[in-house]
Amino acid sequence: MWPAEVRAAWPARQHRRFRCGARGSHAGGEGTRSRCTGWAPALLGAILGLAGPRASIAELAPEPLINEGPLPAHPGPHWVWVNDIVFDYMADGRAYLIDADTGTFRGMLSTGYGYLGIVPARSSETLYSPETYFSRGTRGTRADVVTLYDPKTLSPGAEIPIPPKRAAIMPMVNAAVLTDDERFLLIYNFTPAQSVSVIDTRNRSFVGEIDTAGCALVYPTGPRSFFSICADGSLLQVSIDEHGKPTGSAHTPKLIDAEADPVTEKGVRSGDTYWFVSFKGEVLPLKVSPTQISAGTRWWLTSAEERKKGWRPGGLQHLAIHRTLHQLYAVMHQGGEGTHKDPGSEVWVFDVAQGKRLRTLPLASPAGSIQVTEDARPLLLAAFIGSHDLEVYEALSGKHLRTVSAIGLTPTTLVLP
Amino acid sequence: MPWLLGMLVAVQAAHAYEPQANYMLNCMGCHLEDGSGAPGKVPSLRTTLIPFAQTPAGRRYLVQVPGTSQSALSDREIAELLNWMIRSLSDRAVPRGLGDFTAGEVGSYRSERLRDAAATRVRLLAAAGNRG
Amino acid sequence: MKRVDRWVEDGARGLARRTSRRSVLGRLGLILAGAATLPLLPMARGAPGKTESTKDPGDPSSCDYWRHCAIDGFLCSCCGGTQHSCPPGTEPSAVTWIGTCHNPGDGKDYIVSYNDCCGKGSCGRCLCNRNENDKPLYEPFRANDYDWCAGSKVGIAYNCSVARIVGTAK
Repeated sequence: MWPAEVRAAWPARQHRRFRCGARGSHAGGEGTRSRCTGWAPALLGAILGLAGPRASIAELAPEPLINEGPLPAHPGPHWVWVNDIVFDYMADGRAYLIDADTGTFRGMLSTGYGYLGIVPARSSETLYSPETYFSRGTRGTRADVVTLYDPKTLSPGAEIPIPPKRAAIMPMVNAAVLTDDERFLLIYNFTPAQSVSVIDTRNRSFVGEIDTAGCALVYPTGPRSFFSICADGSLLQVSIDEHGKPTGSAHTPKLIDAEADPVTEKGVRSGDTYWFVSFKGEVLPLKVSPTQISAGTRWWLTSAEERKKGWRPGGLQHLAIHRTLHQLYAVMHQGGEGTHKDPGSEVWVFDVAQGKRLRTLPLASPAGSIQVTEDARPLLLAAFIGSHDLEVYEALSGKHLRTVSAIGLTPTTLVLP
Repeated sequence: MPWLLGMLVAVQAAHAYEPQANYMLNCMGCHLEDGSGAPGKVPSLRTTLIPFAQTPAGRRYLVQVPGTSQSALSDREIAELLNWMIRSLSDRAVPRGLGDFTAGEVGSYRSERLRDAAATRVRLLAAAGNRG
Repeated sequence: MKRVDRWVEDGARGLARRTSRRSVLGRLGLILAGAATLPLLPMARGAPGKTESTKDPGDPSSCDYWRHCAIDGFLCSCCGGTQHSCPPGTEPSAVTWIGTCHNPGDGKDYIVSYNDCCGKGSCGRCLCNRNENDKPLYEPFRANDYDWCAGSKVGIAYNCSVARIVGTAK
């Protein structure tokens, strides 16, 4: 908005002080005095060496009011989305885009009730965002949609209506994922009946729900398959066709002991391998193909001695993977049973091929969520739902580079664009 | 005091509960204290336990439905739990001659996965002449 | 509903100390008799020292109240309700997650139902998250990371959680 009156008034106020020439609309009228007289303008003019009636000194030019951007379609390797469920005011969910190299807040999305996080699609340069809105904020008619945002303008575009069933949970990456070719968006539903909504991103339509009774969340295993984790410790692998309709499903044998030492939901993936970690810190590698899942050799994040001292992984997003360096990052704390959601004071780094620890990185402040950028000089990014700071470290050395403050109210998960 | 923590965890893991407690811990969260569930979201047990327990297909379903089969309970605990539920939560008297579930029976059903719970339930309800 | 107790809000000082102290004191609560003798930790909320009875000891508006062993969210006792009633104008969700907590007052284990109260924004007071015997989302009945208002008639808007005794764990 750029009303002519505002435009006119502001420069005029400046001119009034330093300009020569008739003022306002009284040009030529009697009593008009030129303000060119007096010592001040003359002195200023002399100091600044400017001549002429229009500009005695350099002054700021008037500015139009525009939108910042466009943002780069492919942001730099050190940009990150910080999701925020805004736990105290959940109707106002957000995601913030941060340039971690400069500590700059580049913009945000406003994303409705109980926000879990965005799902960026690199191939189509679209941000998919499953969202929930009530007609009266926190009550009324519920509408769930997948909003498509343009990552260059951070503006909402099309919406795809979906059944108002998406699981309302603490934010997790595997609540909503794209198939490997980014053709279908899969969303975990919980009413408490469990199912998966399938959305065709090309046709921008909801295709249908797949019954996954007894099983939770979605982990892609190919362009047309995914698995969910089941209450009996098996995994349910589901295949879909070109239209997103289920073509078959199969359970693995029991791979997880939910009673003795369950794995957390926060598995990470590189290519055909997932790594899950248990409450006590045992790693379960899973080799996946579109039609099969098998468990690899388990290994521990900790030595027996460290376990006795209570070292365990914990937090909301406690694992991160650097795919080309084959390094697994885990947030660690000391605690006993029931501390699997506690934030950690250190990040331990492992070579996943060998299952060996490479280094221990002390953190400047407690972290519950971490992410590692994918480049050759990676950053380790750390957030905590009880803090408003995003901490930035060199992933390889652990050097604390900067704190980006005032990021969110209850920041949750970190997602790379 | 890590050894004490170890002891506590061991105690909790080893404890076997009575059927009513198992119902509360494993089923009540969704099916509610009286088994009535939530219309449209969670099926009622009150109206279906006895009709289902009266047919082989229905008995198989009661065991194979994920809430039962995927629970951490043993076959024996599930048998005792189902028998307790039939007596305590049903909206009608237990018919004379309705057989109790046994651990063996539960085990025989449990080794098979139920393909489509929702469709199976609809079929069973139709067969039982109920509207669920 | 999931929320980390804001014990780190004070800053990052003594992180490890506070973590282990909290979990150790939680364990002490299980094995010591007489919870009234438990010191109130910095993260305790509400009026200190309020005791209902020796058989149900402790302060229901405190995170360390024995029934809160697997709670996750705002305590309805601080929000216009009590440990078994929802605040006015909120709708109880009957569908919920269940915990087993040890009562130091009588030495028994009780089954506690953490029903959510729904239909309004977050209460914002007495935030408390404890995860004894909590399980991941694939074990829903023992997972406190679900917004159990999903089972309510008014939708998922979450206000607070109660801690209601429904039986003894025997």
